[in-house]
Amino acid sequence: MALEYAQAIYINDGETITFAQLVERSGLTADELGDLIECGALTDEGASAAAARFSERCVLVARTARRLRDEYALEDSHALAVVVRLTQRIDALKSELRRRRGR
Amino acid sequence: MKYKDYYASLGVPRDADADAIKTAYRKLARKYHPDVSKEANAEEKFKEVGEAYETLKDPEKRAAYDQLGQYAPGSDFRPPPDWGQAHAGGQQFSFDDLDLADLFAGLAGRGRGAPRGDRPIPGNDYEAAVHLTFEQAFAGTELELDLAAIEYDEQGRARRVPHRMKVRVPSGVTDGQKLRVPGRGGKGLRGGRDGDLYLDIEVAAHPVFRVDGMDIHVDLPLAPWEAVLGASVELPTPAGRVTLKVPAGTRAGQKLRLGGRGMARSDGTKGDLYAQAQIAVPTVTDEAQHKLYEALRDASNFDPRAHL
Repeated sequence: MALEYAQAIYINDGETITFAQLVERSGLTADELGDLIECGALTDEGASAAAARFSERCVLVARTARRLRDEYALEDSHALAVVVRLTQRIDALKSELRRRRGR
Repeated sequence: MKYKDYYASLGVPRDADADAIKTAYRKLARKYHPDVSKEANAEEKFKEVGEAYETLKDPEKRAAYDQLGQYAPGSDFRPPPDWGQAHAGGQQFSFDDLDLADLFAGLAGRGRGAPRGDRPIPGNDYEAAVHLTFEQAFAGTELELDLAAIEYDEQGRARRVPHRMKVRVPSGVTDGQKLRVPGRGGKGLRGGRDGDLYLDIEVAAHPVFRVDGMDIHVDLPLAPWEAVLGASVELPTPAGRVTLKVPAGTRAGQKLRLGGRGMARSDGTKGDLYAQAQIAVPTVTDEAQHKLYEALRDASNFDPRAHL
């Protein structure tokens, strides 16, 4: 088996994608993504609704949402958005805990 | 291919309706989800029930699964001769390379035969956890990863393809961070973009250095006279030992900053290293030293509790 070489890179928040691209890459429906945006789990960086742009980090959030939807068999997109917000809060607390342990 | 009894995995009879299957799955998912479960084999059980539900929740996949027949769990089996024609549009599978989950993953969206139309299909993104030492995170490193990805050819035939890759991890990664390896996920079809590989970074704790964001902290024990009089002391840093000038009058808890000796940022700048002073009290058994301390006590009017 040939050995392939690759470079891992930081998630680049400078690059943005459209809403349609986010739907395609995340595997979520437009309604589910809409609920995530409405509850603040995803941030739209576009100048208008028609020109909505999302950072690479939003792809990670959306993929997490899809995983949670599938793993917990969640059918209510609003409930999914709440669960995603709670996991973001958990991640923020874990990050703060790591920082405090480092001091 | 080994047979798995998906109904038994979910604890439902073979004639259970869709609602019963969903209820059973949700109950088991709550019990075994790795994010919340304390069960010893949670991850393995969660994967098992997830795989079962993925097939049984879909009426077409469930019908295809039922048509495989019933065998002893774990026993080798092959689908009936006409199974592929009836349920996968005549697709060919190499059963030696696939397990049962792969077989049904290959039917996803293809239950009625080969994919229709010319629409590009993007490849899946994959995730892998990588464990680094502090030294690897600080300096960057190369990791060898062995991954097995499901890939589909133009006819939609699924096969598991092993990949061995060497991935360069940049310096300055921190615990909990995610990195992206572009284009190293699943292959896209018909011009669809290849998926990415995401690395979940876990960095082991170091006995001496602690990381706080992009800064590094290290404890600096000082003898009482070093703190009072000042001193030049040797200090370990991740890049080697340095000589640190400790100012006279350094107090316990005070942080001495060494600029630019922390973790590297993606823009090329670096965080700082902080040496936190600790006053170490020596055990004095020598009579002469004891008398010197007594003389210092008698000569000094320092009151550390004046503020209480």
